Amino acid sequence: MPAAMVMPNKEDIDGTWNFLENGVNRIMNQLREGVDLKTYMGLYTAIHNFCTSQKAVGNNSNSSLSSNHRGGAHLLGEDLYQRLIGYLSTHLQGVRKDASQHVDEALLKFYIKQWDRFTTAGTYNNHLFRYLNRHWVKREVDEGKKNIYDIYTLHLVRWKEDMFEYTHKNVMDAVLRLVERQRNGETIEQSQIKSIVNSFVSLGLDDSDTTKSTLEVYKEHFEAPFLEATKRYYQNESKQFLAVNSVVDYMKKAEGRLDEEKEHVPVYLLHEIMGPLMKTCETALISEHSPLLRDEFQNLLDNDRVEDLARMYNLLARVPDGLDPLRQRFETHVRKAGLTAVEKVAADGDSLEPKVYVEALLEVHTQYQDLVNKAFKGESEFVRSLDNACREFVNRNKVCKSGSTKSPELLAKYTDTLLKKSSKNAEEDDMEKQLTQIMTVFKYIEDKDVFQKFYSRMLAKRLVNITSVSEDAETSMISKLKEACGFEYTNKLQRMFQDMQISKDLNSSYREWQDERWDEDQKSNAVDASFQILGTGFWPLQPPSTAFLPPQSISKACERFNNFYTNKHQGRKLTWLWQLCKGEIRANYIKANKVPYTFQVSTFQMAILLLFNDQDSVSYDEMAAGTSLAKETLDPSIAIMVKAKVLNVEPADGKTESGTAYSLNYGFKNKKVKVNLNIGIKSEQKQEVEDTHKTIEEDRKLLIQSAIVRIMKSRKKMKHVQLVQETIAQIKSRFAPKVPDIKKCIDMLLEKEYLERLEGDELGYLA
Amino acid sequence: MSATSQTIILNSSDGVDIPVDKEVATRSVLIRNLLEDLGDTGEPIPILNVNEAVLKKVLEWCEQHKKDPPATNEDDSDSRKKTTDIDEWDQKFMQVDQEMLFEIILAANYLDIKALLDVGCKTVANMIKGKSPEEIRKTFNIQNDFTPDEEDQIRRENEWAEDR
Repeated sequence: MPAAMVMPNKEDIDGTWNFLENGVNRIMNQLREGVDLKTYMGLYTAIHNFCTSQKAVGNNSNSSLSSNHRGGAHLLGEDLYQRLIGYLSTHLQGVRKDASQHVDEALLKFYIKQWDRFTTAGTYNNHLFRYLNRHWVKREVDEGKKNIYDIYTLHLVRWKEDMFEYTHKNVMDAVLRLVERQRNGETIEQSQIKSIVNSFVSLGLDDSDTTKSTLEVYKEHFEAPFLEATKRYYQNESKQFLAVNSVVDYMKKAEGRLDEEKEHVPVYLLHEIMGPLMKTCETALISEHSPLLRDEFQNLLDNDRVEDLARMYNLLARVPDGLDPLRQRFETHVRKAGLTAVEKVAADGDSLEPKVYVEALLEVHTQYQDLVNKAFKGESEFVRSLDNACREFVNRNKVCKSGSTKSPELLAKYTDTLLKKSSKNAEEDDMEKQLTQIMTVFKYIEDKDVFQKFYSRMLAKRLVNITSVSEDAETSMISKLKEACGFEYTNKLQRMFQDMQISKDLNSSYREWQDERWDEDQKSNAVDASFQILGTGFWPLQPPSTAFLPPQSISKACERFNNFYTNKHQGRKLTWLWQLCKGEIRANYIKANKVPYTFQVSTFQMAILLLFNDQDSVSYDEMAAGTSLAKETLDPSIAIMVKAKVLNVEPADGKTESGTAYSLNYGFKNKKVKVNLNIGIKSEQKQEVEDTHKTIEEDRKLLIQSAIVRIMKSRKKMKHVQLVQETIAQIKSRFAPKVPDIKKCIDMLLEKEYLERLEGDELGYLA
Repeated sequence: MSATSQTIILNSSDGVDIPVDKEVATRSVLIRNLLEDLGDTGEPIPILNVNEAVLKKVLEWCEQHKKDPPATNEDDSDSRKKTTDIDEWDQKFMQVDQEMLFEIILAANYLDIKALLDVGCKTVANMIKGKSPEEIRKTFNIQNDFTPDEEDQIRRENEWAEDR
């Protein structure tokens, strides 16, 4: 500014404006060279003086009386404001003209440079015109005038109308070309895009409140075209890529692209674009090709490509409804795998080992559970698909052809082999792991009542014969079952355990009782016996199917215990389960060994052998008479002892029937001192399995009936169909009831007059 | 502001250099903006519309109020507008002759020191409060240029506001 800076006449608008225009022009175009203090203060003061000039007041004084200016004093400034607008418009027209000579990056560079220069000047002007802002502008805005802005905002408004409106399309085209070059792998100057974004955002002015900004301008002129270009680019690219590459490679490509785009957002875009940008990319890269991806899914499953499956999951998880079809296919695939695995082992037919069967089921489950965790992030919906598939192939497969009760039966048998003492029992840790695996299969079993039946029978045997591998393992298994099915399911099992404990205590108090009452003679002549008292309702045991005349020494022992017990618990009745009793007898007659042999025998066998104390040869008929045993029990008992060469047969080929006689084999030889002759009989076992199955049907009827009564008791009245539904809901945790069975049970209850028919298909409860 | 307060120089309209703490001077939004835009060049800042006497008086007020929290935004305080209470120090500060009082108000307006402008205006308002038109005219040495008719009309129009 010339040194001869003369302050203009404060009442002269033309003079004042000329003075101001000079300064503003300098700030616009030569700011880099600096503005000195005098100029700065001069400009501010000129504006102040003009706005406070007496003339302003004078101008208005005539009309002061009839003034409708409610706000009080008239404020000067409009002239300056309008002239500034004129100046800025003209200035920007020039800039605009220059801009038209540039394209692409040069245009971006130019636009950004001009924007920075213009907005910096705007902040200076805003300070210089502060007096105008404080008074005239404030008054206008307070009075609700539209299109009046503080001086800085005025700069933005002018830029938007006189510059942006004409150039934004070209600028945006340049931006998009730049981005495309980056997507094609070139390095670009990302800061340019960032600057453009920021400038577009600054132009979003909220008309109702000038201090706030909106994203409208940015959304319309940047985001929309940016997303459109992105969509087009990736539609083209993915089409071309898939034409020559495999789906697996495409998934890698798509994954890479999505990561890239995400990384670009914080570098040069506005955070707000993240959502829409990702959606656009996902649509173009994933949704539009999802059928193709899904077709590949089966292929990947067949070849166990965990990594690619995970990639596919991650991609399809990003788009709506992307995963549902995968889950269906997955379910079908797992079911087929399970059925195939069962079919392989089912070739063994009836001799199928429970262990082989359960392991086949577990293997499929483990494999696909692993896959769900590794590839599908353990997502609950996939877990559900896995569960559905497993439930299908566990309950309905080749082995279960005859009925779904085969699976629980085999599972219970497998559990028994684990929990029964044997030479290959697992270590404790391993045991726990295997029990957990059993529970995995158990979870899928529909006929949980069948498992319960078999399990309780086998548990009873383990307890009575004291063949459990460990009490810890047994209780652990029971608590697992309790956790899965509730207290009621394991109630009887727990009672069986209690009985064992009570029996232990009872035996020791019986021994004390003996000590007190018996003399030495009695003690030395008595059989050393222990007793187990099993509650009738809790144990799945039947009284013996045969008559039996116990040997005298045994019956004496029993009688004494009976006295003791009935004395202690009056009114209780003891039933002797002879078929479960066993004992040891010493064969003193065999002199060949230094230590006499000890035979472990069933009570029946004991009765047979004790007959030989009185005579060397005992005929079949004498045995039958001496023991009262039925033929079905007697014959196999003898057969085992014959087979073990404890007894000799006369004649040598004599059958177990009348006319055959037996004698002791004095020359008996065995490697072991203790010889077990109490071996279970095959046909008996088979019979047991059949019996178990039979009781299941009966028990189910009871279970259904009690469920129906429970429901009706609480509802009083109910429609037939509803009752059936609710019954199914209550029972399905135990087994899958069939509707005809439920109907049958309802009819039975009607007959027994627990229920009555009411009008309109309704049933009522009769208390 | 840092502990070591910088000093800047203001040059009054009658050409006197007045050194002053930056912290004190930037009570004036004009000076604050100027320093922000141009930086501290070390040159004296010409305060074109305020003479030495008034400028010193204004700076005295600024010194006293330098620790005040910066007035929040323009429209912060209806409460401030409604009350004519003035704190004790400011009351004493404003006990000057009428000419000086008006000079301070003008300077505060020019330098953009809102709090000082408010104190000045309140002081004037208190001078008017409770006075009859005649007394007000006397206080400010104003000539009555209404005709009796005009005066009558105004009185009638404002009758509702009179204390009775």
